[in-house]
Amino acid sequence: MNDQQITDIVRSGRGRMPGFPKLGQDELSALLQYLSTTNAPAEAPSGNSSVASSSLSDAGAALFRQNCAFCHGRDAQGGETGPDLTQSRLVRRDVGGNRISEVVRNGRPEKKMPAFHFSNQEIYSLVAFIHEQQAKAASRPGGRRGVEAADLQTGNVAAGRRYFNGAGNCASCHSPTGDLAGVASRYEGLQLEEQMLYPRDVKSRVTVTLPSGKKIAGTVAYLDEFNVALRDADGNYHSWAIAKVKYKLDAPVNAHADLFGRYTDDDIHNLMAYLQTLR
Amino acid sequence: MKLPRHKAVLAAGVLSALAVLPHSLLSQDLNPAELLHPSADSWPGYHGDYSGRRHSHLTQITPLNVGALSLAWAFQTDQTAQIKSSPLLVDGVLYFTVPENIWAVDARSGHQVWHYTYPPSPGDHIGNRGVGMYKGWLYFMTPDCYLVSLNAKDGTVRWKVQVADVKKGYWTTVAPMVIKNHIIVGVSGDLDNLTGYLRSVDPETGETQWQWDSTPPAGTPNSTTGGMTWIPGTYDPSLNLLYWGTGNPTPVLNGKPRPGDDLYTCSIVALNPDTGKLVWAFQVSPHDTHDWDAVEIPVLVDGNFRGQPRKMLMQASRNGYFFVLDRTNGKSLLTVPYGPVNWTLGVDKEGRPIPNPAKEPAPDGRLIAPDEGGLTNYRSPSFDPRTGLFIVDAHPSYSIYFAKPADGAYGWAGADYGLWGKGVIEAIDYRTGKIRWSHEVGAGGSGAGVLTTDSGLTFTGDGYGNALALDSGNGKTLWHAGTGAPMQSSPISYELDGRQYIVTSSGGVMFAWALPHSSSAVSGSVDGSHKHP
Repeated sequence: MNDQQITDIVRSGRGRMPGFPKLGQDELSALLQYLSTTNAPAEAPSGNSSVASSSLSDAGAALFRQNCAFCHGRDAQGGETGPDLTQSRLVRRDVGGNRISEVVRNGRPEKKMPAFHFSNQEIYSLVAFIHEQQAKAASRPGGRRGVEAADLQTGNVAAGRRYFNGAGNCASCHSPTGDLAGVASRYEGLQLEEQMLYPRDVKSRVTVTLPSGKKIAGTVAYLDEFNVALRDADGNYHSWAIAKVKYKLDAPVNAHADLFGRYTDDDIHNLMAYLQTLR
Repeated sequence: MKLPRHKAVLAAGVLSALAVLPHSLLSQDLNPAELLHPSADSWPGYHGDYSGRRHSHLTQITPLNVGALSLAWAFQTDQTAQIKSSPLLVDGVLYFTVPENIWAVDARSGHQVWHYTYPPSPGDHIGNRGVGMYKGWLYFMTPDCYLVSLNAKDGTVRWKVQVADVKKGYWTTVAPMVIKNHIIVGVSGDLDNLTGYLRSVDPETGETQWQWDSTPPAGTPNSTTGGMTWIPGTYDPSLNLLYWGTGNPTPVLNGKPRPGDDLYTCSIVALNPDTGKLVWAFQVSPHDTHDWDAVEIPVLVDGNFRGQPRKMLMQASRNGYFFVLDRTNGKSLLTVPYGPVNWTLGVDKEGRPIPNPAKEPAPDGRLIAPDEGGLTNYRSPSFDPRTGLFIVDAHPSYSIYFAKPADGAYGWAGADYGLWGKGVIEAIDYRTGKIRWSHEVGAGGSGAGVLTTDSGLTFTGDGYGNALALDSGNGKTLWHAGTGAPMQSSPISYELDGRQYIVTSSGGVMFAWALPHSSSAVSGSVDGSHKHP
């Protein structure tokens, strides 16, 4: 039975089995993954495929231990600075390694994950292992390890709103009906809290003044002690030796870093409670 | 200008600091006495010498001429693991590593002499710090916890001995340390509740001479495990004390099963290297719950402290504090933060930080400074005796730490996530802990070690792949070169054929820098008679 057939039955029901028309796409994907990794002799065309897939994920487990466990934990549930892969949306959406392989091969340099030049077979084994771990974690009844959205609900919405408009000074850049409208639909749980505390993907802006006096502005593409580069409004890339130009950086994201020395833990939990109301 | 050398016979095991050094011109041979006073044309141990100061007396490269520093050669390892090892330079050959690999490279030409690979092994491949050398033999740790002894001249294996059981969760990354006739190795492993230890092994046979356990056996009630011994220590030959840092406790983020200080995790310990007996211990992080190993280099400095001459030990530790101890007895002289910290209630009268229970990992998270990687990590700092500055690559940072009952009491037992950090090279005045100058090295952090020289230069790297030479007096950049990947090791320096080299690595490439052959500095003398401002 293929994924579409399973999906149809789950959604519409069959005989005495009820339908689940409101099941979300993410949950459906997880269900399909779980079903595909369960040993179910009656379903498998031959006994070999489930044996083959379990030895592939065994090989992936060994490779994962050597190279990934240091950050992502031996069970892929993360926590050692590396994310919990079993709660990862990218992993849930991955089909046959199409998304996972990209991350493994390129790394995430801005997050300090190195690139790994594994062979295709090694990548398949890792993908099998990661999907298996995700399925295992999802099937555990309660009290699963790792940070879940339910863990992060200890704050007070009114106190969070006061902090947003008061001591946190968030309102000077952000608006609950403007840029933050629906933020809790775009991010949830740990990801929302991390973005709230420091939004990593935000690009800063820079204005460069050439010796002629001409100014060029854009988003920062590169900046170190010696060189500055930007993409202008048309998407063109320009770079200069810093010794030859003047530049002014506009990085409102720094306000997030400035708050770190001022937050109490209660402030953070309250803010989280407030932001989660912005669906 | 070389000192005259002549051969002398040394009785086995009897070494005096005044012994002359037999030095064969034709073989890869290192007498352990060389480690006591390394010659200008060598870098015979992880730190160069036993002090851990990573400070070179060479002065050919100066603040005035470093702007002309250029590439002498680069060696490409053609593989993707990043070099994290400190190379050794003995008899004109450089030895450096990544997990399961040792390269021997001719330091004059940058060409390979030999390359050794250990068969693919289980165990974490997070990194390898390098080899140790004793006579004509190298010593190397593998991810699956074997100590391998090889012939330095051709990389053939003499023997290997198992130091820990990889199936229990140990792995090894350390550069073995050579003291007299002891090869001293440490172990790693935080994903399981395991006892940490140091082991001394006979260089000829591989037999265990002694083992010192940092924590009690796993399963001891109300007791900790952990205390891994990740990084090579330092040694004072006149006190005959080996100094080593120990790692964090396990379970890592859950402190409830292990109440109390959790000795000897997160500690600086002084051992007798001949017996392995503990002489004194100072705990850098009592009852740690943030994975902050205290394995950073315990740098040995003789100098004045509050008007009195002192034999000191200094550590810029992962937990955010800079410690100065009296290394004869482990007593604290100074404990002060060198960056943002928010997890303590202050410092106790013994000089130990007092952990704030409200900042232990919690189910809904606690904001912690620094992050798990720490205010610094394995890369080496440098102490510059001329300026009295302790120079370290620091990482001001913030993170959130979580732990809840479902995370259990085994291994990591929780979750932590870095939020933000940056890299700053800080020059700390050891007498007060005040930061005399700082030099930003990039959003995210650097990770490069630091080397200083007698001519007033500081060599390090930034987070963007630039190798840097800074003025040790004020931190200003005097030279840089874009190497294409951030340095994840610590620089070394030596003199060969009248030319001073700085050797750095980044990515999988080893770079040797020197003044151009034609430079007048190079045709002058190397070590002291050269004029500098």
